[in-house]
Amino acid sequence: MNPLRSLAAALFIAAVAVPNLRAVELTRADAEKDPVLKAMLAELDRSMSQLQLQGFAKPFFIQYRLEQVDDFETTAEYGSSEGSDHARQRVARITVRVGDYKTDSSGARGDGALEIAVLDDDPIALRSVLWAGTDQAYKNALSAYAQKQAELKQVQTPPQSDDFSQEKPIISLADPIAIHVDESSWADRVARASGLYRTDATVSTNQRDIQYSSASFRARSTTTWLVTSEGTIVRKSAVEYQETFAAGSQASDGMRLDRSYGSSGISPAELDSEPDFNKHAVTELASLAELRKAPLVEEEYHGPLLFSADAAADTLRSLLGGAITATRPALGTEARTNGAFASSYHARVLPDFMNVVDDPSLKTFNGKALLGAYDVDDEGVPEQAVKLVDEGRLDNYLIGRQPVRDFPESSGHGRAGITGPARPTIGVLKITADNGLSTDELNKKLLDMAKDRGLKNVYVVETLGGEREPRLLYRVSPDGKRELVRGAVLDDVDDRALRSSIDSAGKDLWVANSFGDPPTTVLAPALLFSDATVRRANAKNDKLPFYPPPD
Amino acid sequence: MLLPKSRAFTPNHSKGPSRRPIIIRLHCAPAAAVFSLLIPVSVARAQQPAPAVLDAMTTELHRAFTSLGKSPGSPSQAASSAAAEAPASGAATPAAIFAQGAATSPAQSSSDKPLPPYFLSYTVRDTSFVSIRALYGALAESSAGRNRVADVQVRVGDPKLDNTHGTHRGSAVNSQQLPLGDDREALSRSLWNATNTGYGAALDNYLRVQTEAEVRAKEEDTSPDFSGQESQTHIGAVAPQVVIDRAAWEQRVRELSRIFRDYPDVYQNMVFLTVQNETDYFTSSEGSQIVTPHLQARIVAVAVTRADDGMDLFREQTFEAPTADGLPTEAVLESAMRELGKSLEALRKAPVTEPFDGPAILSGRAAAVFFHEVLGHRLEGQRQRGDEEGQTFTKDVGKPILPDFLSVADDPTVSNFGSTWLSGSYQYDDEGQKAERVDLIQDGVLKTFLMSRLPIASFGASNGHGRAEEGHVPTGRQGNLIVTSTKSVPDSDLRKQLIDEAKKQGKPYGLFFEDISSGFAVTQRSSPQAFQVIPLVVWRVYVDGRPDELVRGVSIVGTPLAAMKSIIATGDKSEVFNGECGAESGTIPVSAVAPAMLLSGIETQRQPQGIARPPILPIPGADSQAPAAKEAQ
Repeated sequence: MNPLRSLAAALFIAAVAVPNLRAVELTRADAEKDPVLKAMLAELDRSMSQLQLQGFAKPFFIQYRLEQVDDFETTAEYGSSEGSDHARQRVARITVRVGDYKTDSSGARGDGALEIAVLDDDPIALRSVLWAGTDQAYKNALSAYAQKQAELKQVQTPPQSDDFSQEKPIISLADPIAIHVDESSWADRVARASGLYRTDATVSTNQRDIQYSSASFRARSTTTWLVTSEGTIVRKSAVEYQETFAAGSQASDGMRLDRSYGSSGISPAELDSEPDFNKHAVTELASLAELRKAPLVEEEYHGPLLFSADAAADTLRSLLGGAITATRPALGTEARTNGAFASSYHARVLPDFMNVVDDPSLKTFNGKALLGAYDVDDEGVPEQAVKLVDEGRLDNYLIGRQPVRDFPESSGHGRAGITGPARPTIGVLKITADNGLSTDELNKKLLDMAKDRGLKNVYVVETLGGEREPRLLYRVSPDGKRELVRGAVLDDVDDRALRSSIDSAGKDLWVANSFGDPPTTVLAPALLFSDATVRRANAKNDKLPFYPPPD
Repeated sequence: MLLPKSRAFTPNHSKGPSRRPIIIRLHCAPAAAVFSLLIPVSVARAQQPAPAVLDAMTTELHRAFTSLGKSPGSPSQAASSAAAEAPASGAATPAAIFAQGAATSPAQSSSDKPLPPYFLSYTVRDTSFVSIRALYGALAESSAGRNRVADVQVRVGDPKLDNTHGTHRGSAVNSQQLPLGDDREALSRSLWNATNTGYGAALDNYLRVQTEAEVRAKEEDTSPDFSGQESQTHIGAVAPQVVIDRAAWEQRVRELSRIFRDYPDVYQNMVFLTVQNETDYFTSSEGSQIVTPHLQARIVAVAVTRADDGMDLFREQTFEAPTADGLPTEAVLESAMRELGKSLEALRKAPVTEPFDGPAILSGRAAAVFFHEVLGHRLEGQRQRGDEEGQTFTKDVGKPILPDFLSVADDPTVSNFGSTWLSGSYQYDDEGQKAERVDLIQDGVLKTFLMSRLPIASFGASNGHGRAEEGHVPTGRQGNLIVTSTKSVPDSDLRKQLIDEAKKQGKPYGLFFEDISSGFAVTQRSSPQAFQVIPLVVWRVYVDGRPDELVRGVSIVGTPLAAMKSIIATGDKSEVFNGECGAESGTIPVSAVAPAMLLSGIETQRQPQGIARPPILPIPGADSQAPAAKEAQ
């Protein structure tokens, strides 16, 4: 590896990894050396001291969150570049609350105003942006507060918690991280990847079956400046890089077949090398040829189902990711939160050999950088590792500054998509099993189950496309022979199955980084369900191309 | 409604096939969209060798056309002309491709082979752009890029009845992004993909058209769905990539926006530069091959304030030229910004007008907008057919619809009016037809309509006005609408006539509409045949010699025929409105040119207004200037 590049990579990681808040005690004067923070604080002070409509309450809380997004993307199809886009933008989200911590103007959806901000560090222009948003947010807050007072009078059961949590102010100033990419060489590189269907000798004989073949590279840095009237001042920055490949075909019965591959990280050096990436892409292309030949899955199957760690990470993300966050319940109810685990506090949600923690401080795992890691959340609260599930029992929820019953304070999980309001969101969700098994042991166990139950075959999900649609599903006969099948949809893999159908789990964790908004990571083991359903999807099969592709 | 924020701050460039809304409203604005189009380069006349893109498009188009079923020598004239012109380079013979297709696609044995298309065209727009935006005196965006998008048009059935009939018009076009380079394989694969999808949609819609045709009563207008036209060949120059001094322009745009700091009541401002060089490629199964460049540079400035009673007020100014070098000097631009600032500060203090019915003068610019909205849209060919269209003028060909001293033409072939560049100019329309000057109204008498290739009862052929934004099926649209008069008087006389007319009608004042913004025209039967344009700057001109008084909150209402028949005289100097116009076929650049006009009767009503208070605190930077904003508290 190029030593300079690896040094650069190390520096990037260092920039994320060293939380300045835990180093020397920083002051507002340190923050004001940054012209953006200086302008934000000046307007914040002015608004807190002067903003008031005669006869109405002043704001008790104002927060400015300014995000700068530097986003480069280049895409290619069929071996040729479709062009690149490099956008830089700043957006301000302005939150104004009137009332008090117990009852304020906040509603179910994000509060405040959104304004396009300026890229120049020009104090008057930056303040003008904030001024326009503050004025609007304050007026909205006044009417929302009045409306809330009226709604409170209509319910007998009072709210189960305060509207807004009190948090200790912090000052944390991380350096902004820039994206460093050679734009034209990446454009060429994705063009080459998207053309592998016709340039790679091992797959090019099937090139006429490929209906689309595309590749992209994306690099994005997000720098956030956040100030609150409580004294919190935060500057933080994160960067993500991702290369993707996708190709598709149709089977002779018209069934659409899609494969994709992605490589992501927090520096370009962390991504697959070009030969490695292209090797994966060629594997995906080859699998399309296999899938075209693969038989349809049987009409319906009930029995054991083994999820690879890759597939399990997707399933656990969708089943747990939302359920373990706590959000304010409907007014007038005694509910604690919403969602699948709304009433599961202290109840069993997983088998007793499984544990779940969300730990945003986990920056790497097996040498791989985790995109979901962070130091301070998007409400200016330092992250905390939260032990969510202990021996199968739900002991905690992820929460931001919107309290729910029994959870009066933020656990530093108030995270926001770019321009979005903060809401409780996973960072690095780690699911582990005591006495986890190796892949071989899991496979053996699966075959044993087949034999014990006298099944003529069982199934292994290698990768998922949609939430319930496997992209690679293998039918395994009791003698261990694997056959790729297509056209399946999974069923009965739900909350109940998590609680009572997981027979055993793997010991190795898959790193599922999501180049998301916000970025998240799930670390998950393979899962062997004792009872699940595999059915034929019977989706609509589109017509085959009306005429063949060009030579 | 005044929606300066959403309109100006959110560039509107819709994509994908248009769906027909219940009521089609036609919005036209000088500042609407970012991506727009442009003007023929004057040097592009000479025929040039066909670019690789056009060659790849043509080869793939003919391969698609023959593969999908029309074998050479078929009775269809379109098909035979296409086959005759198919380049020999590249692919195997059509017959060989067809055989191959049948072999590799078991679903398509010759017995169940679907209907072949009778027409196929590829339009490719290759666009290079730079866009720079400033707010509050600082840069908010600076970007540059290039993209290439193909619109594939597939027609199934026959010209009398095809998949585009009635409400299925959008089904003719399918769009796809294309690779930027000359890689033939990548280009033809992309086009193949888009053609396949488009053909599937066309078949589906044709089936529905046939069913609907069987179950419905006879249509009023039984014209065919597609006119026969001569094929066109014109290989113009390929537009160069946009090259400007980004840093210098960023600074200019920033400085223009900064001028508004001298006007603290201007609560919001935006200055926006877009420079766009586009090359349009067109090829069709009829044998047309066209390459034309379109260049446009534009500066849009928008400024917003709010009166104490909550009325939002905005003004905008635009400057257009083929290239950035042709835009006005900094001094001109700066004084235009100051004019906007001053005007808004005056407007927010102006009294709100009362409803009025009396004489008025429209400035040349206001008259241009008025004619574009009130008349121009109603002269678009497709509005004369269709069960839901109001068809205001359908039966009026040969009859007077304006005073006899007025004539109206639409002429996309001229690129300037005096020294002002016209943004609605083009050489070929978006159906590959040569642009034509169309004399719509001569001496007040209606002669014809703006025609695309969609025929109507009275006119069966295109006159080069089939226009569309990418992703849309072209319809008859305006280009450069030019109003001329034989009864013109100097502006001072026109003002005198206004006062005389007001006196005659017993009114204390007449109105002078100095600037008018976008409006919308409703041409459909389900709504009143009304129009509304939004006057931005309106003065009361008193009969008793008092100074003119600026008023706010006026909107013009009424029916088009009545309003236009009340024109008494015109000024002797014409003004140009360059803008963007949105309708069913998307947003396209247009111009309108007209002299000032005196109307004996115009009706106004109170404009719907916002109710939000002005900002509570003064805008930052204004604190020390004892600004007017403080009065708002």
